[in-house]
Amino acid sequence: MLNLQVLIIVIFSPLLQGVIKKLKALAQGRVGARVLQPYWDLLRLFKKEMVVPESASWVFRAAPFIVFASALAAGMMLPVLSAGDPVKSFRMGDIIALLYTLALGRFFLTLAGLDAGTAFGGEGSSREATVAILVEPTMALAIFTAAIAAGSTSIAAISRSTDILQSPAHVLAFAAFFVALIAETGRIPVDNPDTHLELTMIHEGMVLEYSGGYLALLELAHFMKQMLLFTLAIDLFFPYGISQGGATPYAPALAVAYYALKLLVLAAAMAFTESSRAKMRFFQLPSLLGGAFVLALLSIITFVMLGR
Amino acid sequence: MAENETYKLTDNETYREVAPEEFRQECARLFDNGRGRLRMMFAVDSRETGEGFNIYAVFSHPGKDLFEIVVLKDLEEKEGGITFPSITPKIPAAHWYERQIADMFGLLPEGHPDPAPLVLHGLYPPGVYPLRRDISHDQIRGLLDEDKEDLSSFMKVKGEGIYEIPVGPVHAGIIEPGHFRFSAVGETVYYLDARLFFTHKGVEKLFERMGFDEGVKLAERLSGVSSFAHSAAYCHAVERMAGVALPIRARAIRTFLLELERLYNHIGDIGNMCAGTGFAIGYAKGALLKERLMGLNERLTGSRYLRGVNAPGGVLADVLENPAETLRTIEGITGQYKSFIEFLTGATSHMERLDNAGLLSREIAMALGATGVAARASGLDDDIRTAHPHLYYGQLVFESHTRMKGDVFSRMMLRADEAACSLAILKSILHKAKGKRLEGDIALPAVEVPALGRALGYVEGPRGSIFYYVSSGRDGRPFRVKPRAASFCNWPLMPFAVHGNIVPDFPLINKSFNLSYSGSDA
Repeated sequence: MLNLQVLIIVIFSPLLQGVIKKLKALAQGRVGARVLQPYWDLLRLFKKEMVVPESASWVFRAAPFIVFASALAAGMMLPVLSAGDPVKSFRMGDIIALLYTLALGRFFLTLAGLDAGTAFGGEGSSREATVAILVEPTMALAIFTAAIAAGSTSIAAISRSTDILQSPAHVLAFAAFFVALIAETGRIPVDNPDTHLELTMIHEGMVLEYSGGYLALLELAHFMKQMLLFTLAIDLFFPYGISQGGATPYAPALAVAYYALKLLVLAAAMAFTESSRAKMRFFQLPSLLGGAFVLALLSIITFVMLGR
Repeated sequence: MAENETYKLTDNETYREVAPEEFRQECARLFDNGRGRLRMMFAVDSRETGEGFNIYAVFSHPGKDLFEIVVLKDLEEKEGGITFPSITPKIPAAHWYERQIADMFGLLPEGHPDPAPLVLHGLYPPGVYPLRRDISHDQIRGLLDEDKEDLSSFMKVKGEGIYEIPVGPVHAGIIEPGHFRFSAVGETVYYLDARLFFTHKGVEKLFERMGFDEGVKLAERLSGVSSFAHSAAYCHAVERMAGVALPIRARAIRTFLLELERLYNHIGDIGNMCAGTGFAIGYAKGALLKERLMGLNERLTGSRYLRGVNAPGGVLADVLENPAETLRTIEGITGQYKSFIEFLTGATSHMERLDNAGLLSREIAMALGATGVAARASGLDDDIRTAHPHLYYGQLVFESHTRMKGDVFSRMMLRADEAACSLAILKSILHKAKGKRLEGDIALPAVEVPALGRALGYVEGPRGSIFYYVSSGRDGRPFRVKPRAASFCNWPLMPFAVHGNIVPDFPLINKSFNLSYSGSDA
């Protein structure tokens, strides 16, 4: 059967976004919008008229669906509440498939930014590609540490094999993963999701020409990607409490509680990082992301040397 | 008046009338190879009094409280129009003034290196010059054709890998309209061409329709956060023209409010620079502190932007009525301000973005006539408060600040120094008011404006020097009112400060100057 846990991500990812925004507002001494605001924003966008640039080709129209579909497909590969029994219940994917499914979405979003034919879209795409080149290897390496430790590239298998940051290698890998997570979700110090300054945008630059339903779809896909990367972090590094399937009757309730708590902690860490520092100068990003890559590399070396 | 006669109207203005062939030489003498400063330059249509078109160039010298004004008379009509000798080749700071004169009066600067239209964007039929006195405000409005807007002429940079990024005039945030054309190589800005004057409102023409008392309302609406500085400079000019001296309490109150305005601007600007680096907590703290000051503005004057306070002859609100209470508020803000600056200077991720960004050299600042924070952060000691003491500044002990490097960091720290200085001035005035040493009226009963008078008014606003030239006609009504906002001098600096920086740093550099569009566009 299909991994329907992805529905949790589809339904609750705007809430996670709302919570992060609320936490950021509180950190900055503001009241902030309600945590449910992203739902209303999406609803409003779906109701609005769409404006498509005259110069845009089929790529511009297809991209929102491809980006959304890639986030959805990637979500299906993850254990969210239950790592289940791989043979009998859910069919899940492995990490390499997950990374490349996400890369497909990113590829089309980058193309769409260029396709609109405006300077900001082009800038956003070019910067996104630069960041992607720096981030993807880091993320892959960090994940491989967990995979080697578990002896499997199946995410469900990894999450069943470990507990909470079980070895020094895992700690290093998680540090690298967290930096990559910041970059992947377009947050400070890499990108500023709240800016109105066109010239500084990365993600917002690429979607600047989108409006109405297309924009809503892209936004939702972005929220989903954020939540599924958070979930991936939990599955790989903190799977403690995830349901193994067929356990005691109250296990699902416990799994939900653990999952929500872990998301909240990650969201708070994200909000704190984002509020407490300024965005980096664009050309200094390689030193941050390169540093994360070195951490990821060290984590693998540590694992090989310590053998655990 | 005989030719070449020098005469004085107020005690620090001399006017010297010259013929076209002497104009360049006389201006060059006063500019003194960059030691002198061109304060402003404008034209007057005096054809109805038989004097034709005149051009005024106002100069001053550091260390000398004197404005030397060259008046060019007897402009020549040549085929193709009326021309005057351009001084831009010798004095680069004149470049925008001359283009503005060409747009508004149809007087063409002969020998100007780039005489393209500046203000009007081709919105009027050829041969219509809005500031000539034989065309009325209503007639001009009728001729406006918005479909004719022409924004095609930009400096083109050619070469492999160079592409153009057009930005504005409509922006994603709530900012004033301006069009910027970047020529970039990758992320590096090679050249920036800015097209402004989208908010040109015909203010100079409007002044001529109003009385001198009414004009205050217009002056204080020219530039939102410099409302008080503009109205104070305007009133200063009218009072000097009338030859009246203000009571001490009125002078102290104006000084107090000028410093209060500088304070809320500088703190707001420092906070806004955090928005440029995406430093959310710094931005929030700055906004909070600025809001406290705006609240104080409202409590003291009834207006968050200090409007409706100035009038020719004094002020309309006795701001120094409860000095003890105001002092407590200022003391509280001083503490919060100090911890705010300590917090920011300790935030490494923010401060390292400011370092070396948007460098403006002293030479460029000097040549282009930079003013205010932009000039002082590049090592030019130019502060009207100390150079030309007026209002209550002569009785206060303070110094003007400069920083040498000319980067975004210098501009932030200069604002921080000046804000601390403003806090000290505010406290000093309040202490004097508490000690009953500023007793007296807050305004003169009435200010009689003489016929055919003229004078300069000036203050140091938050963004730099603000000048007003006013003159009255035979009927004693406004004949010509010329405001010169600080931003008009500083906008041309932007391409030089941005060159070689990366595109995503532009908003930060822009915020470090924080120039006004409305004031400059007039």
